[in-house]
Amino acid sequence: MGLYLAQQLVNGISYGSILGLLAVGYTMIYGILGLINFAHGEVFMIGAFICYLASAVRGMPWVIGAILALVTSTAVGFLLQRYVYRPTTEKKAPLLTVFIASFAASIGLRHIVMMFYTDKRRAFPIPGVFERMFLVGGIAIGLRDIVIFIVTIAIMSVLAYFIRYSKTGMGMRAVSYDKNTAELVGVNSRKVTIAAFIIGSALAGLSALVYGLSFGIVNPSMGITPGLTAFIAAVLGGIGNVTGAMIGGFIIGLGEVLFVALLPASLSPLRPLFVWALLFVILFIKPSGLFRPNVKFEEIWE
Amino acid sequence: MLLELDNITTGYGKAQVLKDICLHICEGEIVALLGANGAGKSTTLRCIAGVIQPWEGNIKFRGVDTGGVAPYILVSKGISYCPEGRDVFANLTVLENLKIGAYLVDDEKQSEFRLEWVYDLFPRLKERQRQSAASLSGGEQQMLAIGRSLMANPKLLMLDEPSLGVAPILIEAIYSKIQEINASGTSILLVEQNANLALEVADRAYVLEKGEVCLEGTGFELRDNEHVKASYLGIA
Repeated sequence: MGLYLAQQLVNGISYGSILGLLAVGYTMIYGILGLINFAHGEVFMIGAFICYLASAVRGMPWVIGAILALVTSTAVGFLLQRYVYRPTTEKKAPLLTVFIASFAASIGLRHIVMMFYTDKRRAFPIPGVFERMFLVGGIAIGLRDIVIFIVTIAIMSVLAYFIRYSKTGMGMRAVSYDKNTAELVGVNSRKVTIAAFIIGSALAGLSALVYGLSFGIVNPSMGITPGLTAFIAAVLGGIGNVTGAMIGGFIIGLGEVLFVALLPASLSPLRPLFVWALLFVILFIKPSGLFRPNVKFEEIWE
Repeated sequence: MLLELDNITTGYGKAQVLKDICLHICEGEIVALLGANGAGKSTTLRCIAGVIQPWEGNIKFRGVDTGGVAPYILVSKGISYCPEGRDVFANLTVLENLKIGAYLVDDEKQSEFRLEWVYDLFPRLKERQRQSAASLSGGEQQMLAIGRSLMANPKLLMLDEPSLGVAPILIEAIYSKIQEINASGTSILLVEQNANLALEVADRAYVLEKGEVCLEGTGFELRDNEHVKASYLGIA
């Protein structure tokens, strides 16, 4: 049983990385704009799709496909900021308007991709080297899981350091807490918002690559479920808290995998229940999340 | 002339708050803005700081028109606004709150120097520099907000109700610091409900009523004015 659980935990690492990397974008953008970027799941999906198109369809080397994926996700995030969020938020449109614009961007992007490629699932290209397995004390660990884990932890450490110690990071935390006062002390909130979208979207692209490598499929609706789950991870970690979002992602990722592992196989379709039950418990017991949020908390739930 | 407001009319949405406000501040002065709640004192400061735009009229800072310029740019030009209610960043430490005040100062040495100067002014902030700003008392948060505004080395410091919600014993300390800051070469525009306090330190003052300037004069003159005595100083 112990070995079985350990194996499940190893399997849960890449799922936790997917959610954690994706949650960072939600938490940063929610922190700064005060709203959910519904199109974040599509930024994620487009990244995976680009890698698939470049590598599997066009036959480019996988690494080039992966780089193109990161660049495209970042660009899509930047364009969303520039043409959806900036025009609405800077004109002080009512929150409902921005909400609808965000939703429209999400559905629009998803359906544009569907229009060209249909919603059929396709095989995501996985380089052979990632398939290598090691046996450690009876547990099978893929090279893929090791690489994913190391890359995720390294990137998260760099990001946490950046948020904690750089001037832009400090500006981000200040804008998340109180945008007007941040502008009064000299922070250009537009620049900080762009930085949040760029970092968040690049990590969504990375998350998409991890997703492709782990599950081996891409399709235009692939962003919906991981997107929602990652948003809950961001709430669990405390909105605006980047390290919290990452840890929240791992808690939910590993929790979900263990939940399924411990239940009889016939109940495994209940998997999403775990996430929603967890959200319920968070909102009930500690609505601010596990770690200190970077926002004035009363404002979120008003 | 450091700052000049020429017939400023403005408000929020469609509600007009200020009407034809004219006021000026010379280099090195402490100028107080007095008036009842809702007279438009904070709105005047917010307009100068660029938070809201003038509908009509001109604002000139050191001879340059600043109407419609974003707040963060005005900070780099030398206007610091310390808003009412001690809006410190409660999610940042005391030191981070001060450092963010020097967000636009690229010269590390200069911001280190400013930091030491602010610490000399408010030693208590140095003692608590690693603590979260949320853990400070009301008076300490006010000191932090003032200190943060000073980090950008402003030519003009605008203080909105620095005595609000501060323990009486600290109010005096804060006011003596305001004079110290002024002596170091920073001009000050002070909004205060407590007219006694403000007129004691101010070189000149304006009295706002219903969005218009109804009186102006030196601190001394206004303290002797019958209307000011009756309405703001509580002397019948």
